[in-house]
Amino acid sequence: MPELAQPAGRFRVIARGKLADAHVQQALDDSTDRLRSHRLSAWEGLADIEGLRERAHAIRMEVVDDLQGHVDRFTAALEARGGHVYFARTAEEASAYVAEVCTRAGAKLAAKSKSMATEEIGLNAALEAVGVTPVETDLGEYILQLAGEHPVHIVAPAIEKTAEQVAELLTAVDGKPVPAELEALTAAARRQLRETFLQADVGITGANFGVSSTGSVCLVTNEGNGRLVSSIPRLHIAVMGMERLVPTTDDLSVLLRLLARSGTGQKLTVYTTLITGPRRPGEQDGPEDQHVVILDNGRTNLLRGRYKEMLACIRCGACLNVCPVYRKTGGAAYGPVYSGPMGAVLLPLLVGLDQAPSLPHASSLCGACTEACPVKIPLHELLLDLRRDLVQDGVAPRSERLGFWLWSWAWSSVWGYRLATRLARIGQPLAGLVGPGRTWSAGRALPRFGRRFRDHRR
Amino acid sequence: MPAVQLFATCLGDLAFPDAVADAETLLRQAGFEVEFPARQVCCGQPAFNAGHRAAARRVARSFARAFSREAPIVAPSGSCATMASHYLPELLGVEPFEVWELSAFLASVGFRPLPRNAGRRIAYHDSCHMLRELHVSAQPRRLLGGSGAELVPFARPDLCCGFGGTFSVRQPEVSVAMADDKLAGGEAAGTIVTADPGCLMHLRGRAEKSGSPVRVVHIATALARGIGA
Repeated sequence: MPELAQPAGRFRVIARGKLADAHVQQALDDSTDRLRSHRLSAWEGLADIEGLRERAHAIRMEVVDDLQGHVDRFTAALEARGGHVYFARTAEEASAYVAEVCTRAGAKLAAKSKSMATEEIGLNAALEAVGVTPVETDLGEYILQLAGEHPVHIVAPAIEKTAEQVAELLTAVDGKPVPAELEALTAAARRQLRETFLQADVGITGANFGVSSTGSVCLVTNEGNGRLVSSIPRLHIAVMGMERLVPTTDDLSVLLRLLARSGTGQKLTVYTTLITGPRRPGEQDGPEDQHVVILDNGRTNLLRGRYKEMLACIRCGACLNVCPVYRKTGGAAYGPVYSGPMGAVLLPLLVGLDQAPSLPHASSLCGACTEACPVKIPLHELLLDLRRDLVQDGVAPRSERLGFWLWSWAWSSVWGYRLATRLARIGQPLAGLVGPGRTWSAGRALPRFGRRFRDHRR
Repeated sequence: MPAVQLFATCLGDLAFPDAVADAETLLRQAGFEVEFPARQVCCGQPAFNAGHRAAARRVARSFARAFSREAPIVAPSGSCATMASHYLPELLGVEPFEVWELSAFLASVGFRPLPRNAGRRIAYHDSCHMLRELHVSAQPRRLLGGSGAELVPFARPDLCCGFGGTFSVRQPEVSVAMADDKLAGGEAAGTIVTADPGCLMHLRGRAEKSGSPVRVVHIATALARGIGA
């Protein structure tokens, strides 16, 4: 599976590389700004966006507060319609189950639509290990699969790639040159993927939502590939995070009104697909068999205190598009799957703070994410809570804890403050040589400490 | 004469004493008696934002000891005003204080600035906490406009300048790149005005190091003496 854990320091190293790449910087700026302004216009087009956000938040929290109940209801409803449900506690269990279902069905070729959950569990590698060839059919994901890379944005996975880079990848498949023009590129990808849709033994999708009362899986795509892979192959497998459930189809409609508007600024994506079980007698389309894998993989870790709010996330990407840090670093710095503010909150909670200690600090706490979140997750405040836990759990480095301890004693009384700042003034010429002062002054002039305001005023 | 308590903030006191003095001048011009509670130090924000709650509490207590609830507290800092008004009461389990950011306070009492910036161009930088937690964005612009300045908007006024407290030294390269974008956005105006000493220290420090022609000025200075001062 892709390693979700992020060792300390990794973020900074990858960020540095992205900062040095002028093309990536331009691509990030253009695409995040475009998606952001599309969202803002789409939100403006709604009569009562705040009311809708409140409703969406309430619906999501209703599910989060009775997560197991909703999983049970979804399972019962889907099984009554002839589908199979498997609850996977870990990524390994989920991948093993999907691989086993494929093997049992004698599948050789799997057509996949875009799914962050299957990225999270490293499904492609698990399928290859049992002789099943997975082919990504979302254009962005297909490009990344050809390049052997991971998504850098949860909605627009290949935003850092240029048309030239895409042309090169598609040319390698075709064996003859594909021009670096949008129409030619999509036509080539379409042609290359067409056979996959028709030949695949199994279609594997994620799930944007699951409806507890009906057992339906909802997919939203712009390319229609989700519909193709869930209806043409004889077997359909959906991998769904356990928190993706909504109580009813009415509730689904509330969230659908927000999802595309917040992600890409569309009222709805081009295709919204609702699948309820496999093909029934008398029906002409649809798979003969359907399996839904419900994935925990650390999600139940979030069911404590305020962190459960993060389970309300609908993966729209709005927080990435407004984040000034993501805008500079891109997604890879956060890890191979989730990125931006939602990733910085979610990953440490899924894998443990000690496994991702840099992520809660990969933010200037500007709050743009919280402002943009359609389901009102207090993202920057959750980052603050995670930072608190880094200290409380002893993950924060000893030197940092000692530094703040000393600082707080000095700053807790006027005499301590006076003494400490007097010493700091004397030590000023050395401030740029060690520790944080040195880091600061590599890119910025240090402020000069002269007479304090309080000295003037006396 | 009504009184206000001036909260210099530690960064203001240490690095920008002139801006704090300008804030005091403005408050007097607006008709207030300005008290400076002598025991004040800091609101605890640096530690709070870094996750060190015990350290933050220790420092925040000095704020609670120094200030009274008898008169409004005014700080020439959006982020310190946010900390003191939004987070500190919960952190300490005490009753809230009446804390204002300087420009919001001046605007609320109908202060009319002197025409110190007639004919000058200014790009006003929203500090994040002030914009998103205090929801103060129109008031500083109105005051600067009232001082005669022509306001030149940033293409992306929503973007953070990259300071972010300890973020500036944990992710220094990203932090500096964010400052460079902000400074570049201010080039059309030539001067960036901000109401936050954190943004001021960061942007001015970066401008000095990188040789950017953009000047960065605290709003108190811009209103009291003009950006040419």
